[in-house]
Amino acid sequence: MSAPEFLNTLERSGLSTWIRESESAFAYYFVLVLHNIGLALLVGTCGVLGARLLGFVPELPLPPLARFFRFIWAGFWLNVLSGIVLLIAYPTKALTNPVFYVKLVLVALGVWALRKIERQLSSHAAARDATPAVPRSLALWMLGLWLGVLTAGRALAYTATYILYGKGT
Amino acid sequence: MNFDHLHLLLNHVPIIGFFVGVGLFVASFTGTNEDLRRSALIIFAAVALVTIPTFASGVGADRSIAGEPGISEALVRRHEGAAMLGLWFVEATGAAAVMVLWRSRRTIGPPRKGLATVLLLAIVAAVLMGRTGNTGGDIRHPEPGVTRGAAVTEGPVGSIIHVFEPTPDGFTQLMVATKWWWATMMVLHFVGLSLIIGVVGVINLRIMGFAKELPFAPLHRLLPLGMAGLAINVVTGMLAFIGMPAYYAADIAFWFKLAALMLLGLNAAVFYLTGIFHRVERLGPGEDAALSAKIVAASSLLLWFTVIISGRYIQHFEDSLRF
Repeated sequence: MSAPEFLNTLERSGLSTWIRESESAFAYYFVLVLHNIGLALLVGTCGVLGARLLGFVPELPLPPLARFFRFIWAGFWLNVLSGIVLLIAYPTKALTNPVFYVKLVLVALGVWALRKIERQLSSHAAARDATPAVPRSLALWMLGLWLGVLTAGRALAYTATYILYGKGT
Repeated sequence: MNFDHLHLLLNHVPIIGFFVGVGLFVASFTGTNEDLRRSALIIFAAVALVTIPTFASGVGADRSIAGEPGISEALVRRHEGAAMLGLWFVEATGAAAVMVLWRSRRTIGPPRKGLATVLLLAIVAAVLMGRTGNTGGDIRHPEPGVTRGAAVTEGPVGSIIHVFEPTPDGFTQLMVATKWWWATMMVLHFVGLSLIIGVVGVINLRIMGFAKELPFAPLHRLLPLGMAGLAINVVTGMLAFIGMPAYYAADIAFWFKLAALMLLGLNAAVFYLTGIFHRVERLGPGEDAALSAKIVAASSLLLWFTVIISGRYIQHFEDSLRF
């Protein structure tokens, strides 16, 4: 099966070519840096929150800790945007790789788990409940899903069949 | 860049540091000299940090003197093997020292098993650092009569240690033998990065005034999670370096990253050893930290993001330095 032609069109566009081929330090690696910072904000904050929900440092009050959710979402949107730019740079590489679709599904499930946790925490905070109860299984799913996103994202660098349109690895 | 000189400048730190550290540590067991013991543990942790650029600069030094008349390749490889073995004991001693420092803050009296572990690791590390220094000195000043290309002779102690020393090229090939091992190391490096930024970020933002309802003491108890991330990343980072030593050593972004890491060590020393931490530790819900604490917290965040950014730019700056 040959890759669809629109990948070739996108890859030849000015923006795609510039991100890929520019010698500037503000081209491809700058976008990767942004994607990396987004990952650190998102997965890092999830890690702390997840550890607390699993019973690590139980004396740490949850409602104020939940305020760090804004860093999770900041990281998420930064990575949606930087991810789109990376996709424009290497559309064939990503879209012909099944791992990329696995990553997208895991992202969707991860967002679902995070939103569920956020809702449970905020409803308890509104009820002035000092010890909001988020099921441990949900915390584990959330951590596992984002770990999966990270692993799938890293794996994209090693599992691509094509790097550019018509160019295999 | 003159790696030869940088290596000669740095390489005294692990050797002298561990000899002094072991001396102080042993002396602290006569009677109960807590301050002396604490000083020794801090020295082990600090030296473990400085040993990272010391090790890395050795590769640059090797490339810059390679081919010079009178330099024996066999002596260089022997020194490299000694360093590759000693490195892990120095890092393990540093990690164990940090753990003991952490635990002795919370329990009455330091943990005995922890102290014994540090002592054992530190003595082994000091011996291996001595061996590394000796074999390194032999490169420029070989024993009389040893000529370039001659077989390396070992003394009784050296011949025993040599059995445990890895073959530098073999170790390197092992790291890059399959892309899946490399991919696994990189995944772990990113997991470690997330743990560090998560914990450091939450703690530093609280000091800077975000989510002030959080009391500081329980928040600070998250630190072992971040330290676990640091441990993962020192190990995976050093293994990656061993996998492609010349690639990293010739990269300006890599050295920028290490410099930021050294400054983070200094930043942590200012935070924990000058009394700033003692004042911050008592912060209850809603209480504001002192300006000095906020500055240290902000510089910690800035430096950690510098580490991430320069780490990500390593590929871009490939071959940016000449040996």
